[in-house]
Amino acid sequence: MSAQGLFDAIQHSALSDAISKLDHLFGAVAQLGHITGLVLLLSSIVLVNLRLLGWGLTSQPITRLATSTNKLIWSGLALLAVSGLFIFIPAALIYYVNPFFWYKAELIVFALIVQLTLFRWATRTDEPRPLLAKGTAVVSLALWFGVGAAARVIGFLN
Amino acid sequence: MAILQFAQWANDSELGTYIRESLFAYPAIEGLHLLSLAFSVGLIVFTDLRLVGLFLKEVPASDLLKQLRPWVLGGFAVQLFTGVLLFFASAATVVTLPVFWLKLLVIFLAGVNVLWFELKWVRRVGDWTDQLVPPGGVRFAGWASLAFWSFVVISGRLIPYLSYK
Repeated sequence: MSAQGLFDAIQHSALSDAISKLDHLFGAVAQLGHITGLVLLLSSIVLVNLRLLGWGLTSQPITRLATSTNKLIWSGLALLAVSGLFIFIPAALIYYVNPFFWYKAELIVFALIVQLTLFRWATRTDEPRPLLAKGTAVVSLALWFGVGAAARVIGFLN
Repeated sequence: MAILQFAQWANDSELGTYIRESLFAYPAIEGLHLLSLAFSVGLIVFTDLRLVGLFLKEVPASDLLKQLRPWVLGGFAVQLFTGVLLFFASAATVVTLPVFWLKLLVIFLAGVNVLWFELKWVRRVGDWTDQLVPPGGVRFAGWASLAFWSFVVISGRLIPYLSYK
């Protein structure tokens, strides 16, 4: 099945029908869930990366900040994924033709790879090599804020 | 009424018209308004969670308050600036929405809460900065702040949602 065929099948699935029939208010709730997830995720990323850059909370051990925010990062991502699916499924074909949907998807993949590799390495010890710490912070911030920016453009092109 | 006249003037001004009609300016400004939430409201939420004794308990509260302050204020500066620009772009519509006025009111209440917290508690932060669960007044300020800012984000998201109907 082609990607377009898949998106077509998603939009015309029973689940899609069920979501479309929900109250109008439900769409607003999904949007609010999405923005809450975004704030949880981005703020946690900002907090740890400011520390990696040496620009904030410098008196705190890196590992403590990373451990404390880890749950928030993954809860934020889970909330984004669930609310995102509810927004996406009923309108899959609209997203298929939107280039920024695909940029966003690519950025998410890169950001997740960095999250599970570089970010993990840089926050594993309290004294990571400065180049690793600062490089990770710059890449991580650029990718996650890039996801947010691409997401915002999707709405304007739809 | 003066406010309606002002909104109409802002709406029809060169600046408002430019932003509204620009292909790039409007999405860029709205994107900044949204993403700077991570610095303003997001970092405040962390501080609030510390104040109510739920998060980063081992971190002295004064460390969080002091070291995050420039980033929080920087985030707010961006939000205020982009918010004013967004207001100009759709002033005539947003002033007719109750949710817009509610948002401004709750931002004001959040500001009053900050002022009270600063004057009453931050002045003697040394007395409670190391407490894992701070005194009742501090926790109250934390919960109030969490409630106010959640409301501000929700009402803010509803403004465009209700504008198009």
